[in-house]
Amino acid sequence: MKSNHIKELIADYLDGFLDTDQLKEVESHLKNCESCNAELEATRVLLKAFKEEQTARPSKQVKARFYQMLEEEKQNSSKVIQLEHRGNWVSGMLKIAAGIALLAGTFALGKFQQQQQSNLEIAALENKSQEIKETAMLSLMENQSASRRIQGVNYIEEFAQPDDAIIKALADRMLFDDNKNVRLSAVEALGNFTASTIVKEAFIAALETENDPSIQITIIHTLVDMQEKKAIAPMQKLLQQQETQPFVKKEIKTLLPNII
Amino acid sequence: MSFLKERPDEELMAAVAGGNLDLAKILFERHHVHIYNFLYKMSKDKMLSEDITQEVFYKLIKYRSSYNNGKFVSWMFTIARNCLASHYKSSKGIYTNLDQMEYRLTEDQNEKIEDYTHLQQALDKLNNSDRELLILNRLQEIKYNELAEIMDSTTGAVKTKVSRALKKLKGIYFEKV
Repeated sequence: MKSNHIKELIADYLDGFLDTDQLKEVESHLKNCESCNAELEATRVLLKAFKEEQTARPSKQVKARFYQMLEEEKQNSSKVIQLEHRGNWVSGMLKIAAGIALLAGTFALGKFQQQQQSNLEIAALENKSQEIKETAMLSLMENQSASRRIQGVNYIEEFAQPDDAIIKALADRMLFDDNKNVRLSAVEALGNFTASTIVKEAFIAALETENDPSIQITIIHTLVDMQEKKAIAPMQKLLQQQETQPFVKKEIKTLLPNII
Repeated sequence: MSFLKERPDEELMAAVAGGNLDLAKILFERHHVHIYNFLYKMSKDKMLSEDITQEVFYKLIKYRSSYNNGKFVSWMFTIARNCLASHYKSSKGIYTNLDQMEYRLTEDQNEKIEDYTHLQQALDKLNNSDRELLILNRLQEIKYNELAEIMDSTTGAVKTKVSRALKKLKGIYFEKV
């Protein structure tokens, strides 16, 4: 009997973890050692008890709750991932739809922000401060929405004596705005300030650039009322031009003698 | 999806981390009973074990991106141990009282003790860390190297600890028999 017991190796021996050399050593030792055999037996019983220990089963709720949690997590995580799983043409369509939705959304957001901006500007106009009013009005006239620009132009009523900045901005609207309704509003607004040199010059310039007949007529009327002699030449030029509408020419012919 | 059921845990968990959350179902089916039993053996509280099992899988999903592609079982049991530990920490005061109450109750009703096997009773007499090692290694069949990852130790050190714990348990188990 060896003095060197193999008790440390018994668990590994039962687990089958020993290499060939260790296995030989343990088996030869066990042939002669009673105490190690007792140890082996005890360990075998204990490990068997572990094996036989019953597995407890959790209630079905655990699974149900897990599945519910997983669904929630799937919804919380990015929708893009879900699209990828669909594959095929549905995926393509959805991507296009998402693209359109994104585009529309961005556009709407932009519009909304501008709307917000406009609303703020209108609010500012109601403020007593002249300076703020002016800034707000000038800003409104730059708005991308034509109706907002008209609104801006019409706020001229708020000013008893508008300064040059406002007059110039109105003149710009009259001369260069793409929308004829805005131009017409500007013409009407400026009609109240005909004493200003800037306004006079703007009307004369407009006579040459404006091609909408109804606006032309309004300008002609305003200039005749102003008795603006510098307007005679451009009016005569309009009479010569082929593009000028017959009724505009007729209006000029009728009104021109009134100047002087 | 049946072919996926053959895939190793690590591969499935990596896919879950990559966004394929449905694969977590396979991991749940494979492991939730193990986790539950570990918790139940440690706490002997069914409700608590169910709640924490739930929490473990919740964290597994929630923190999926922090999975480091190591041994899945080690990672999962690390989460389970942390959940259990933080539960005991947060309910320390209440729990010791409940524990004492439960102890008194079981003392009064001897039949309740008989619900537990001789092994369980022997395990209960070990200290927490020895009990945990044996439950993980012998009941949940966690290998030494995986256990080392969980305990943040080396395989050799863990093996020595397990064999010492087993020796203690043997002493207790055969005491009066």
